[in-house]
Amino acid sequence: MKVAYINNEAFEMKEGETILSFLRRHQGQDSVPTLCDAPNLDPFGSCRVCSVDVALEKDGNARPMASCHAPLSENYYIYPDSPKIEKLRKNIIELVLTDHPLDCLTCEVNNNCELQEVAARVGIRDVRYPAGETHLDRKKDLSHAYMTSDLSKCINCYRCVRACDEVQGQFVLSMAGRGFDNKIVMGMDQTFAESDCVSCGACSQACPTSAISDIFESKSIRAKDKTRTICTYCGVGCNLEVSSVGEEILSIRAPYDAEVNQGHTCLKGRYAFSFYNHSERLRDPMIKRNGVFEKVSWDEAYTFIVDKFNSIKENHGPDAIAAVSSSRCTNEENYLMQKFTRAVIGTNNIDGCARVCHSPTALGMQRSFGTGAATNSIEDIKLTNCMMVIGANPTEAHPVTGVKIKQRAMKGNTLIVIDPRTTELAKYADFHLAVRPGSNVAVLNMMLHYIIKEGLEDTNFISSRTEGYDQFKKEILELDIDEMEKICGVDKELVRKAAIAYASAPNAMSFHGLGVTEHSQGTFTVQLISDLAMVTGNIGRPGVGVNPLRGQNNVQGSADMGVQPHQGAGYMDINDPLVIEKYDKFYGVPVPLGEGLKIPEMFDACLDQRLKGMWIIGEDLAQTDPNTQKVVKSLKNLEILVVQELFMTETALLADVILPGASFLEKSGTFTNGERRIQRVNAVVKPVGNSKVDGQIIIDIMNRMGYKQADYDPKTMLEEISQIVHFFKGVTWDRLGINGLQWPVLEDGTDTKILHTEEFRRGKGLLTNFDFKESMEIEKNGKEYPFILTTNRDLEHYNCGAMTRRTNNVLINTQDVLWINPIDAESKGVKDGDLVCIESARGKVDIRAWVTEDVRQGVLSTTFHFPEIMINNITSDVHDSEAMCPEYKVVSVDFRKAKNAAFRKEGKFVENA
Amino acid sequence: MSKNISFLTGRKGLETNLFDLLGKESQKTGTPSKENLKKLADEFLIGAANTYGSATFYDFMKPENKGKEVYICNGSVCLCAGTQDKLHQELSKHIDVSKIGHMTCLGRCHENSAFNYKGNNYSNLSKAEIKELFSTKFKQKDKYKVASIGSAILTSPTGKNQSYYQLLDKMLSMEPKEVLEEIKSSQLKGRGGAGFPMGIKLDTAANTKAKTKFIICNADEGDPGAYTDRYIMEERPHSLLLGMIIAGYAVGAKWGVLYIRGEYPESVEIIEKAISDLHSEGILPLGSNKHDFSFQFKVIKAQGAYICGEETALISSIEGQRPEVRIRPPFPAVEGLFNMPTIVNNVETLANVPYILKNGGNQFKTIGTSFSTGTKLVSLDSFFNRPGIYEVDMGTPMKTIIDDLGGGFKQTVKAIHIGGPLGGLVPVKKAYEMNLDYETFKNNGFLLGHASFVSIPQEFPLVKYLQHLFEFTSFESCGKCFPCRLGSKRGSEMLEKSMNSDYKIDRELFNDLLDTLEQGSLCALGGGLPLPVRNALQYFDSELSQYFEAKVNY
Repeated sequence: MKVAYINNEAFEMKEGETILSFLRRHQGQDSVPTLCDAPNLDPFGSCRVCSVDVALEKDGNARPMASCHAPLSENYYIYPDSPKIEKLRKNIIELVLTDHPLDCLTCEVNNNCELQEVAARVGIRDVRYPAGETHLDRKKDLSHAYMTSDLSKCINCYRCVRACDEVQGQFVLSMAGRGFDNKIVMGMDQTFAESDCVSCGACSQACPTSAISDIFESKSIRAKDKTRTICTYCGVGCNLEVSSVGEEILSIRAPYDAEVNQGHTCLKGRYAFSFYNHSERLRDPMIKRNGVFEKVSWDEAYTFIVDKFNSIKENHGPDAIAAVSSSRCTNEENYLMQKFTRAVIGTNNIDGCARVCHSPTALGMQRSFGTGAATNSIEDIKLTNCMMVIGANPTEAHPVTGVKIKQRAMKGNTLIVIDPRTTELAKYADFHLAVRPGSNVAVLNMMLHYIIKEGLEDTNFISSRTEGYDQFKKEILELDIDEMEKICGVDKELVRKAAIAYASAPNAMSFHGLGVTEHSQGTFTVQLISDLAMVTGNIGRPGVGVNPLRGQNNVQGSADMGVQPHQGAGYMDINDPLVIEKYDKFYGVPVPLGEGLKIPEMFDACLDQRLKGMWIIGEDLAQTDPNTQKVVKSLKNLEILVVQELFMTETALLADVILPGASFLEKSGTFTNGERRIQRVNAVVKPVGNSKVDGQIIIDIMNRMGYKQADYDPKTMLEEISQIVHFFKGVTWDRLGINGLQWPVLEDGTDTKILHTEEFRRGKGLLTNFDFKESMEIEKNGKEYPFILTTNRDLEHYNCGAMTRRTNNVLINTQDVLWINPIDAESKGVKDGDLVCIESARGKVDIRAWVTEDVRQGVLSTTFHFPEIMINNITSDVHDSEAMCPEYKVVSVDFRKAKNAAFRKEGKFVENA
Repeated sequence: MSKNISFLTGRKGLETNLFDLLGKESQKTGTPSKENLKKLADEFLIGAANTYGSATFYDFMKPENKGKEVYICNGSVCLCAGTQDKLHQELSKHIDVSKIGHMTCLGRCHENSAFNYKGNNYSNLSKAEIKELFSTKFKQKDKYKVASIGSAILTSPTGKNQSYYQLLDKMLSMEPKEVLEEIKSSQLKGRGGAGFPMGIKLDTAANTKAKTKFIICNADEGDPGAYTDRYIMEERPHSLLLGMIIAGYAVGAKWGVLYIRGEYPESVEIIEKAISDLHSEGILPLGSNKHDFSFQFKVIKAQGAYICGEETALISSIEGQRPEVRIRPPFPAVEGLFNMPTIVNNVETLANVPYILKNGGNQFKTIGTSFSTGTKLVSLDSFFNRPGIYEVDMGTPMKTIIDDLGGGFKQTVKAIHIGGPLGGLVPVKKAYEMNLDYETFKNNGFLLGHASFVSIPQEFPLVKYLQHLFEFTSFESCGKCFPCRLGSKRGSEMLEKSMNSDYKIDRELFNDLLDTLEQGSLCALGGGLPLPVRNALQYFDSELSQYFEAKVNY
């Protein structure tokens, strides 16, 4: 055992550790005072407060070393608090205080200030220097929707600069000037609002004083309680620490010990929480009478619903009722909702938002591997040498994972981006294949072709782990590459180089998003991505794999729980009588055999009146599903539409009964993130007003419809789930701990970071080739509407925006805009900022133009966050041939300058200056 | 320092260099426009904050530099010589004072009255010549004495390139390891100040596997009073260039970067010309050889920041980052420029290398003392009767240098500040007792450093000199570490106050400040400042005590 000494006592040392980490390991986290050190940043060595005396022999001649960056050597004799060191620290802090306002009592961070703490610790009683030059007159910056700064409090430790660089990778902050006049600048000495800040708040969390903070004063000690929970925005599953007093939420920070996000999160997770008690929150159940919503008691609402459901069931059979569950709800709630649908109503007409996002992923990966979930963990990014990001824009839609990819790419690891738009990641990519929307199959065909042609396939892996290769190879080699090149519009040489880079990397990892799935060939694309991984042997070990970036916070979980019409809880096939028998037994009532309706089929069933009643929880179909007019018409056709929501969404407006549900801050349960990690969600406050926890609402109705289900309690719910969902076998509330477990979880609680290590769930991996097929949308409408519109997401808003538009995020991102290539804009006489009318075979909407090189010619792009635009008025209901996921990414459109220079719904939102 | 930015700006290699581009952008008006800073940031995928942060660091790029045409030297020698106020007066007759800025040390220490006008350096011009300069622009080639006693390794003419560079044939006939061994056995120590053995550095870089490695010549000779590197670059450029090629061969580096001070415009021109000569004479690119060794040069003109003489700051500077001192490890030889193994050596160090390869490390070792091998260039300032550059064997008595070479002082000098602003302040009497080598200087409580001589005349108040040192450090501090950024400022303020009011400095506080700088600073700038200050307090207490409170024991 190698040792070093602390005050002449021997302690075991680790190879490569710093003196500081050695001291902290043996003497406690707070054993050495520090200022420029932070848990998620590299050692920097600016404050020098962590200096310790180091001698090469016992009581030998000691030299001060900054422990944060000095490597430990064997037989060092460390004297962490020698008189010399105590004096040095005191002298340094005294110097700091010559340029710091001593107004602690009125400071936000009073009693939670690292400078204050260190000053107290080293015992400063006096600043002996004569009055000199200071920077106390620096002005506060309150320009930003969230971030605040008061640089008179800055101690120049660079933690904010380093956080912006090493954590977020945004480079918004820097030091400027030199020496004594060094100062932190945002952008080119601009305000926070003017800078390129993405409001992640990493700088605020890193700052040891109140020099950078936020409007929520997240560093004040006002909070009585701190609750750890999981973010409701996106499938990354960031851990949050929520500060509150009573029923008031004060602020959110990201815990450093979170395995998912290591002290980081994006502006949605950190700052966009104030929707929870927004004045527009639905606070009471309501029934629509004569076109007007009237507040009613829960009893009245329940009776109304139960009577209606019972009568529909009686008169038209259970299949006349359908349910859409919410991926923003907990696993327990989703389990309950599908159980209600199957066991209480008696139909398999249950679906969820996965239908419109990752249903092709689940299906495609099930076909290739046997399991429809990410094969690896996000932490594997640290181990990979090559990342392929296809049809995903994670720095906007999955920010914390996005920055991890970006950080890895910046450090010299290969990045391949396949996307029609120049996303932020595309700018950092070694290879950006700017494909024409809808041609993913062609470009993947090309990559596979080159890999096999160049002899870069992993023959060992192929022969031992896969099946179908011979046929696959034959088809791939027969492809007409020039034809493929024409289809996807990317130089074949670039594709070849990218393919070689992916295949020759020691470890290559792929990520995909809705730019893969929301296509008529979505499932096939997923299978080709899986082929690519298998052909190159990039499955089953750290740093590789196929990793779908799941959209909503619990979309993985809702499918796991059985929120889909063809598989019950735990992905068991409800077409299989043996499975049904099992469910019958478990639920204690007979459940129906045979697939139910998928969401798009539900709309058709509404229109032809096969469906009479629907219950939708937390999903704004009217704003977010394609072909709005059809959706609205369908839902209006129902006898009863129950909408359980937080806000009066476009869908809620169509409801007959409104049930006010609870936000993630008001309930407990579990969410499963995109890497299969089941994490505990803990209620911070009680549901606002008269609203209720969604799980309890479902249970209340189950009970009233004659099915006995105990009151909502995540612990007992998990017990039930673990008995029917095989990969939850070892899951218990207590075992999940603070960082959760990744399924499958064995009975003894062992979880799984990487799938398919020895063999695939389906045995051998299945290699299948698919040929490119033009989308029906383009075949049918491409001539009349020659541009392709593709829809996507912005960082600041989440899905229909019901939550984020009710936070200050709306001050940062005020509207949906249409990305237009400058050449296309010019051809139509459209200038940046003009209002344009965009039209498809379904209809037209007006939208503001944003002329940018970041979208390729012939392609237009926009978001769907704002109901003022309702872009889905023009999207099509063409869908994936296999999983019925709508083709949001390929819409044939044309556009022109709008006739009127004003919006159709003028005045509804704040204009950009 | 940002690892990410090192990678990102390194993506374009040295051909398209961010720092170079920033320099070019600032040429027109003296500072790059915000629009261009944003454009460059986008091009290199970094933040506008980064390009702005870098530009605001440098004297010749910061916004305050806008419109400056004349820069008056405010280095230590010109200060002690007392020539600059008069010069300022004279220049302001011809140009608006708002267009006059400062440069710290043009290396014209042998005659003073130094200034830079529109990219050229001048010194000791008559009033008539100054007047003429503003009507008909001319260049001035300065003259100073050059001589050697003992071995003339650095001062011997290199002769015709075709024959001088024949040494490359010998080099290529040897294994890189063998070349490295010669350098190691010579025990050549870095001449830039720290005195670190060159061979050990090279060994580390040679043993680090990487796609690319770099040899950087640190030609940012910022120490006021020093112009030895300038001499080599302008008079013996090929010994330096050949030395870099040989060092590159020894470690497997194919790129040589010369980072030359902006204050030495003539050096930049001469080195660039010397490199292009190598190409026109067919010496570069190297022909095919069994080691597949090739070598390319890149000249980078610095933009006015003393701290860039510190190797990690220099590396950050080339990367276009703010030149703030990095922590070590990682050492540059393992992870330097663009995060690749990098050797940073001073001009004089590298210029010794051809001699070592030609004559063998063992032969080199016989010159000088056993600890300090080889020769040393010294630069003598205008207080000597024969100011100039002298090459002496290590271990030569100082008396020989002062009297025999320098011809003694023109006027009474009480102390010589040797080895730059962070070197020791040697009382003249003491200087006569010493030899010039690393060990003698260290044992006597001084530092050989760059072996530049700055004479402090009898009548020049030492308190003013010390205040100048603190102020210089404060002005040049990168500002990263707390002790240097704050301490140098407070020290400067205290000394100034004591000179201009009846304020007396608290000796305990002053001593605490020196301890803090010495023990706490990240690099040798803050850490080295206390040495000359303590020398002054030790040897000149009678002169300085009037500025301090009554003495207490410390």
